[in-house]
Amino acid sequence: MNPYRSYDARIIEVKELTSREKLFSLKFLDNEIEENFTFKPGQFVIVDIRGFGEFPISLCSSPTRRPIQLCIRRVGRMTKFIHKMNEGDIIGIRGPYGNGFPMDLMEGSNLILIAGGLGMAPLRSVLWYAIDSGKYEKIYLFYGTKSYEDILFRDEIIHLLKHGEKLNCHVKLAYEVETPSCIYLERGFSEKVCKGVVTDLFRGEEFDVENSYALICGPPVMYKYVIRELLDRGLSPGRIYMTLERRMRCGVGKCGHCIVGTSVSIKYICKDGPVFTYWDALSTRGLI
Amino acid sequence: MRYVKLHSEYFPEFFNRLKEVGRVYGPVRHNSTYRFEEVNSIDELSLDYTRTILPPKKFFIRPRDAMFKIQKNEVTEVDGDGKFVLFGVHSCDIHGIKILDKVYLSNPPDPYYERRRKNAFIVGISCMPDEYCFCKSLGTDFAMDGFDIFLHELPDGWLVRVGSVKGHEFVWENQDIFDDVTEEDLRNFKEFEEKRAKAFKKSLNKEGLADILDLAFTSKVWKKYAEKCLGCGNCTIVCPTCRCYEVCDTWVRAYEALRMRRYDSCFMPTHGLVAGGHNFRPTRLDRFRHRYYCKNYFDPEAGFNCVGCGRCDEFCPARIEHVKVLDEVREGLI
Repeated sequence: MNPYRSYDARIIEVKELTSREKLFSLKFLDNEIEENFTFKPGQFVIVDIRGFGEFPISLCSSPTRRPIQLCIRRVGRMTKFIHKMNEGDIIGIRGPYGNGFPMDLMEGSNLILIAGGLGMAPLRSVLWYAIDSGKYEKIYLFYGTKSYEDILFRDEIIHLLKHGEKLNCHVKLAYEVETPSCIYLERGFSEKVCKGVVTDLFRGEEFDVENSYALICGPPVMYKYVIRELLDRGLSPGRIYMTLERRMRCGVGKCGHCIVGTSVSIKYICKDGPVFTYWDALSTRGLI
Repeated sequence: MRYVKLHSEYFPEFFNRLKEVGRVYGPVRHNSTYRFEEVNSIDELSLDYTRTILPPKKFFIRPRDAMFKIQKNEVTEVDGDGKFVLFGVHSCDIHGIKILDKVYLSNPPDPYYERRRKNAFIVGISCMPDEYCFCKSLGTDFAMDGFDIFLHELPDGWLVRVGSVKGHEFVWENQDIFDDVTEEDLRNFKEFEEKRAKAFKKSLNKEGLADILDLAFTSKVWKKYAEKCLGCGNCTIVCPTCRCYEVCDTWVRAYEALRMRRYDSCFMPTHGLVAGGHNFRPTRLDRFRHRYYCKNYFDPEAGFNCVGCGRCDEFCPARIEHVKVLDEVREGLI
């Protein structure tokens, strides 16, 4: 078995989410793989465009749903290439890799999902898994975005703003740039949408910190502020989970690009992560 | 372990028998440096070499290594080549291979590495340290395993240690050239090892090193040396345990590409760069420090990631000395 070999998958749907992000729905050509492919929320796959290269992308669909989906932002050479691909095109997928969020451990607790920008993609997997399984007390989603136009999965988010309480899901949104659509949205959901950063959404919220887990994903700068907010509220560092990004080339702990830490603890983000607790961050330098 | 003796007069015959095992690669002199190259006769070998530029890792993880051949939608794994003999590997390099084994053979095993490792027949050789070697202080100056046979120099031949089943098979099949070890041989062996132990000029104080380095994250010494460092990445390429690689697809014909991997270095600014332009190790200081942390990571089972071969010192154009940097960091802390 060659762990670097990817399996053929067909792009069955391409959906434009924003001007930069597209959602790719995939189906493996091999029926056996298609049926057996399972993953945990928070895990990632390596997308292989034969003849051009590979890149890691987190899975943004829930394991409870099909097809598997990847939300890809156009930022570099490879993602530019995949953005030009259409329905029916074939790409390679290998994985899933990483540890994922400990969903079983968190059963029966509140989940506080805190997403910033593209960080919504891996947390969407957790969100729908938690809603579908119904095993969690209450789900909070705090989502910080640039503007209305940059909201990922806009339909789903608006749907949850409207009907989230029925699904036991409390969604709040913060935007940075004021556009007419944002103001319109804010007018519609005055309690749930505001101008500001993601930590502003904590205002007026009360959680049972003894029975809550926080799950964070966003740009590197966001972690510091969000973690400080959570610690101030009394959440234990062991209950703060975050998913991190590094240049993962191989996904199996060989190529060395994602090594962080010092002489006493070295971690491979691809193998030991990408999900870490705040305890890990305190004992491993360079993690966040 | 089994010990046998190889008399000097049988040495050419021994070499010829090794050629039957597979292609033989050994240390060959090029001006003032040495390289592992294919050798056909013992005259080409330089058995008293100090260290080669590239360590034997180049036979297991190649500087440029084809993984897959891609033709339209067909992907085929590139097959490795046949059996080979690595002749004259020093014990520090054997320890280097053992550290690579830990990474590359752990779950999931790297198939390319695994195949080459199975195809290799490793013949170790004893050596005399020069001014760069500090393997003794790291405990890598003597190899107890990781080789097939190991040759120790004696006045009239070689004391051979047999370290694996493959080595046993070789000695078994070629019994006519090997002899039993005598008391005198053992005395000579002991004498050589004592002489060797005294010859080390450099040593690394590894007492609590991993913890000290961790505490000294903000030490000024890192900054001082990071300014001196040229960021060329020589030290990582020649290191027997550095193993970072980059993957890229290369087109060889209009409809045929090769997925290649090649050595990468954590001294390159692109090493920590992710899509969107965010770099997790943006400055040379970050990258310089990272290498020292990676090399001196202490694994309770396997020890340090450094084997003390001295390559990074010898081939550093800025003359930065590994041991000196670590000693200064230690001093700076107290």
